[in-house]
Amino acid sequence: MKKKNLGSHIFLIIICIYLLIPFAVTLVYSLFTSWDSILPSGFTLRNYQLLFTDSQFWLSMGRTILVSVISVAISITILLLTMFVVVVEKPILGKYVQFVCMIPYALQGVILSISIISLYSGTGSFLSNRLFMLFGAYSILVLPYIYQGIRNNINAINAEMLIRAAQMLGCSEFKAYFFVVIPNIIQGVFVSALLAVSIIFGDFVLANNIAGNNYQNIQVYLFTKLSVSSGLSSAIVVIIFAVVFVITGSILYFQGRKKDLKQ
Amino acid sequence: MRKIKFNKHYIALLPFVIIVLFYELLPLFQLAFNSVKPEKGVLTLEYFIRIFTTPLYQVAIINSVRISLISAFAGIIVAFFAARSFYSAEGKLKKIFTMVLNMTSNFSGVPLTFAFMILMGNTGVLTLAGKQFHIKFLSDFNLYSGTGLILIYIYFQIPLATLLLLPAFTGLKKEWRESALILKADGFHYWTRIGIPNLLPSILGTLSVLFANALAAYATAYALILNNYALLALQISSKFKGDVRIDKQMGGALAVVLIFLMVLATSINNYLIKKNVKGRNLV
Repeated sequence: MKKKNLGSHIFLIIICIYLLIPFAVTLVYSLFTSWDSILPSGFTLRNYQLLFTDSQFWLSMGRTILVSVISVAISITILLLTMFVVVVEKPILGKYVQFVCMIPYALQGVILSISIISLYSGTGSFLSNRLFMLFGAYSILVLPYIYQGIRNNINAINAEMLIRAAQMLGCSEFKAYFFVVIPNIIQGVFVSALLAVSIIFGDFVLANNIAGNNYQNIQVYLFTKLSVSSGLSSAIVVIIFAVVFVITGSILYFQGRKKDLKQ
Repeated sequence: MRKIKFNKHYIALLPFVIIVLFYELLPLFQLAFNSVKPEKGVLTLEYFIRIFTTPLYQVAIINSVRISLISAFAGIIVAFFAARSFYSAEGKLKKIFTMVLNMTSNFSGVPLTFAFMILMGNTGVLTLAGKQFHIKFLSDFNLYSGTGLILIYIYFQIPLATLLLLPAFTGLKKEWRESALILKADGFHYWTRIGIPNLLPSILGTLSVLFANALAAYATAYALILNNYALLALQISSKFKGDVRIDKQMGGALAVVLIFLMVLATSINNYLIKKNVKGRNLV
């Protein structure tokens, strides 16, 4: 039995190393001036210095944060309102809402972006504005993650019962939903919002296809730097991952805390 | 009275309906509509005929399916052994392993491609090391090719596949293993007769997710070779990019082919799961 454990441990360690190598190499690469032989040489923070003094970097970071906050907020708002109707009035609608919400998960970025372009571009209306298209597309892209977060949490607290109880105490259904159900699920929804933000941080397709240079997000910024400077690019990759690692870390932390509370 | 209240609540659906209609459903209908809309007239299959008779598009479809299949199978095989090891491992390593999976499952697209470029590109770290130590495989490896794409795709499939497969392994009961041992089955027999058949629905489900994931992947390939390689996702996007005239019809038709391939994979997978479950009921 001991021997088998050892084999399993070694295999897991190998997988961990394999998965971490690309990131580790990028990190080391960003911290040295050259890497022509086996070991890199010339430790430097110059890449980061250049990056942090580039206003384009801060602008694209700001754009990415702005677009994540707004689209995630839109997604959460429309789904909370929808789930109100599903819970209070027509549970049967839930099936259709789920179907519609899961479509973007299957389609992913390429199809979503070009379908929106093919509908609106060149129509000349305000809907053909690239930013409108982009914010709409991101709201749809994160729909599956927000939907699952909201639904799982509503199921977990037995929302229907809570609303009935509040009603008995003289509260309207609408009030009960917003002042009893939502406060109870908001922490869980926050976790799925974080997941959605990390998805948007990793997106290149939507930003590049729909907005291109009109709304350069952090991934498009990285793409434009690929052919310019590999030192700078490696620093951007490290920063993107520092951000995503922090987000993923907090998701795991909040999920772990929820489990602890339950126990 | 009841009716008025009824209507008021339904207003809450409005924002959802508007956003989904304008940014998900209508665009998809438009896409499908474009693919069969001729310059003059009502309906045409011209674009689909052109796809299946033009070498470039044929190669793009074949390449996409090939790369997706290979990377999906490689991913699932590694994930299977990783998940198996995970459940016979103990202690802190399990925690570290899940953390590494969660972190690296976000590592895809442009950043991942860049990491592979500095690892195995023309002047990559491993390429140079290969030259120095005369390891032909490393020094001659061409990252900017189909093989290079497969290598990168396999990388991003592994964490995803393992994360999807891990929960399924909790369904394997300890007693089954013990019963099998008592009946003198060795490890190999246990897995081929009991373990894998029970995991099959999850394995197939994961496989179809991985296939679709690779089929629709765009950023990874685009960052590596721009449009210089025949791949379905690249071809579709190139029809809608500003530098050439936008070709909504052809792009729409190619997108319909991509969606069709995804639906096909899911259907085959559902069929196999059904068949598998039926077979088990008979025993």
